[in-house]
Amino acid sequence: MDFGFSADQEQLRAQVRRFLDSECPMDRVRQIMAAKEPHDRGLWSKIAELGWPALTIAEPYGGLGLAWEDLVVIAEEMGRSLFPSPLLAGAVAARVIAQMGSEGQQARWLPQAASGDLIATLAVLEESDDLSAAGVQLVAETNGEQVLLSGRKMFVAHAQAADLLLVAAREHGGVSLFAVPAHAAGVTVTPLRLIDRSQRAAMVALEAVAVDHADRIGAPGAAWPDLAGAMDAGTVALAAEMVGAADAALRLAVEYAKVRKQFGQPIGRFQGVKHRLAEILVDIESSRSLVYFASWAVDHQQDPRAAVSMAKAYASQALDRAGEEGIQVHGAIGFTWECDAHLYYKHGRYCRNLGGSPEYHHERLLVAQGL
Amino acid sequence: MDFSFSEREEAFRREVREFLAANNPNRGGGAAARGEGEDDLESAMDRLPKLLAWNQALVEKGWVGFHWPREVGGGGGGLIEQMILKQESGKARAPMLGLSYMGLAWVGPGIIKYGTEQQKRRFIPAILEAREHWCTGYSEPGSGSDLASLRCSAVRDGDHYVISGQKTWTSLAMWSQWMILLVRTDPAAPKHRGITCLLVPMDAAGVEVRPIKAMNGETPFAEVFFNDVRVPVENRLGAEGQGWDVTKHALANERSSIAEVTAMVNHLDDLERLAKKCKSNGRAAIEDPLVRQRLARMKTMVEAMRLTGLRFLTKQLRGDEIGAETSVNKLLRAELEVEIGRLALDIEGRYGALVKGSPGAIDNGKWQRQALTWPSYVIGGGTPNIQRNVIAERLLGLPHDV
Ligand SMILES: Cc1cc2nc3c(=O)[nH]c(=O)nc-3n(C[C@H](O)[C@H](O)[C@H](O)COP(=O)(O)OP(=O)(O)OC[C@H]3O[C@@H](n4cnc5c(N)ncnc54)[C@H](O)[C@@H]3O)c2cc1C
Repeated sequence: MDFGFSADQEQLRAQVRRFLDSECPMDRVRQIMAAKEPHDRGLWSKIAELGWPALTIAEPYGGLGLAWEDLVVIAEEMGRSLFPSPLLAGAVAARVIAQMGSEGQQARWLPQAASGDLIATLAVLEESDDLSAAGVQLVAETNGEQVLLSGRKMFVAHAQAADLLLVAAREHGGVSLFAVPAHAAGVTVTPLRLIDRSQRAAMVALEAVAVDHADRIGAPGAAWPDLAGAMDAGTVALAAEMVGAADAALRLAVEYAKVRKQFGQPIGRFQGVKHRLAEILVDIESSRSLVYFASWAVDHQQDPRAAVSMAKAYASQALDRAGEEGIQVHGAIGFTWECDAHLYYKHGRYCRNLGGSPEYHHERLLVAQGL
Repeated sequence: MDFSFSEREEAFRREVREFLAANNPNRGGGAAARGEGEDDLESAMDRLPKLLAWNQALVEKGWVGFHWPREVGGGGGGLIEQMILKQESGKARAPMLGLSYMGLAWVGPGIIKYGTEQQKRRFIPAILEAREHWCTGYSEPGSGSDLASLRCSAVRDGDHYVISGQKTWTSLAMWSQWMILLVRTDPAAPKHRGITCLLVPMDAAGVEVRPIKAMNGETPFAEVFFNDVRVPVENRLGAEGQGWDVTKHALANERSSIAEVTAMVNHLDDLERLAKKCKSNGRAAIEDPLVRQRLARMKTMVEAMRLTGLRFLTKQLRGDEIGAETSVNKLLRAELEVEIGRLALDIEGRYGALVKGSPGAIDNGKWQRQALTWPSYVIGGGTPNIQRNVIAERLLGLPHDV
């Protein structure tokens, strides 16, 4: 029994921290937020050099062969910096290819994903925002040697930056998954305007997009269980990112509370302020424990749904509270565009329902436990 | 990360299970074992002979004072084995792992850390064997959260201290042979420095105990008066003026024992059973979406407590000291203690008003007792506001408010 990170993992964390502090401090994040480009290619190639996209990809395909808990180390630090990047979306897509793809498919896509030359993302959700298999209604129709995909995907993470979309479609009464080049004929990517500008997502319309049977990943109509499993891993990475963001919001508020004086003393001396901050730390430590465990569970448990749901639900609570309180502690300054507090708050609003709301995950937890 | 156990640890778990199957006084059913009716104080007293046999069986195994050093008579066990032992006995709903509750939770650790060789020999075996019970004399009428303001005094007279003053809220005072007592020995010193810790026999001349009845109808604690009580100097724990350090150590132990999760895990199981058997609006309460949300949130908090406990345990295994961190789980538990009772009574509906002994009372009034006893865990060991202060000041570095 050992519930802590190894020396290697701590080293990775320190490396990530140093990189983000020097290459992507908050004013850089703000530039990226304001930019029109789908993502920052310069930063992407630097993290590719550091091996971040390769982290969880198996060694035979040019990856580092590390575990999901290693990715979570990066995710937490990314959240702390609100680092805008398709990295996690790509890691989830690579996980899907590794778990469901044939050897040929893995050899075709994973080495490029590991080197950073290919950015892939999952396109599963549709307008219903239904997270179950029933939410997948996009039609796959066999047409001789080809399959035609028609329908519309919503909330596709970083589709703007993607080269490859892994599109879930209804086929044979079940869900199939197809690899679709993002620039294929009939694919239209329309960016969504998000409350949280550190993130990117798009609506993706497919109009009779033709793919080969060889582009189907996994058996026809049987993709859902593995797909759902990979999405759960993604939810854990997201929750780790949220914990990092919550911690950054808390630290910002704590530092301000130490220096801002009213009534002749630092406001951090008033219990109305310090007690709320203490409670947020309890939320953060609690969700950290749940997230770290869930990151282990997705690689080691048969059915990690309960662990994942608890992590996501609690991380939402932590970031919601940290985001809101972070603004309040700053007073009117907290309402300004210039103060960073709102960036964490907006991230919290966005992430709360991403991968399922706390209410959704509470319900799913009980179902997973047979209740 | 690694959540597996070694072969040796698994063997130990089997040994614990076998031991419990043979010695657990709650084995083979009974209300306490089914989680339908708590061990309240009265029934614990009725079962005393059985409990003493349990303690003795544990002692023979070296499982009381499990991780205490062998030199003092402890088990010399590792932290992981200790966790396994607690998990398994919790799961089996066995009584506490040793009856001398405060002796084991913080008096013993205090004596081991600060005591003389003679004190260790004198007190530790009796704690292990449950021959002597301890109570804790910190709080006074004028000193609760602000413990360091305490006024009960001890004046040196030759090779004795003479104690005069009053303590209050002293749990188990009327059943204890000994008290760990904080007194002021130097009124001129700064308030934290003038405090000394004494070990006082409760049958000393001049000690008077007046029980206090609590809101749940039980009598768990008492006022204790000291009228020129004389205790020998060798009963001092630590140096004169070192009492505050001794207490800080003890409080961290008390908080971490309150922050433990096994009791919460059992409560949750029982709550789940309750939600299945109670009806609300014509269906089982477990099908009510509001109940489900609340139950899931509680489960999530309990799991967080469990995992945070493991994370801190790992830190200890790697050689780090755990201090203010225990306040994190103490605060979580405070919230849970209140919410568990509230949710249970909400689930029971009208039946939530029926207490032990009433026709129609559910689970023999267990949840009513819970709903009337939470202050023990929430207020005892330091109130939530004090935990928040500890976290804000020691973990976040915010300024002291007082
Ligand atoms: C069941 C039970 C068993 C106990 N057993 C023992 C025992 O065995 N031995 C022993 O010595 N004591 C014992 N206690 C006493 C316990 O430690 C005290 O009750 C506790 O420390 C609080 O002190 P108080 O009751 O005087 O409340 P107070 O300190 O008067 O507090 C009253 C309220 O004011 C708040 N408050 C006080 N100071 C601050 C502050 N600085 N900032 C914000 N809020 C503040 C508190 O949070 C609380 O809500 C027991 C208590 C209970 C309920």
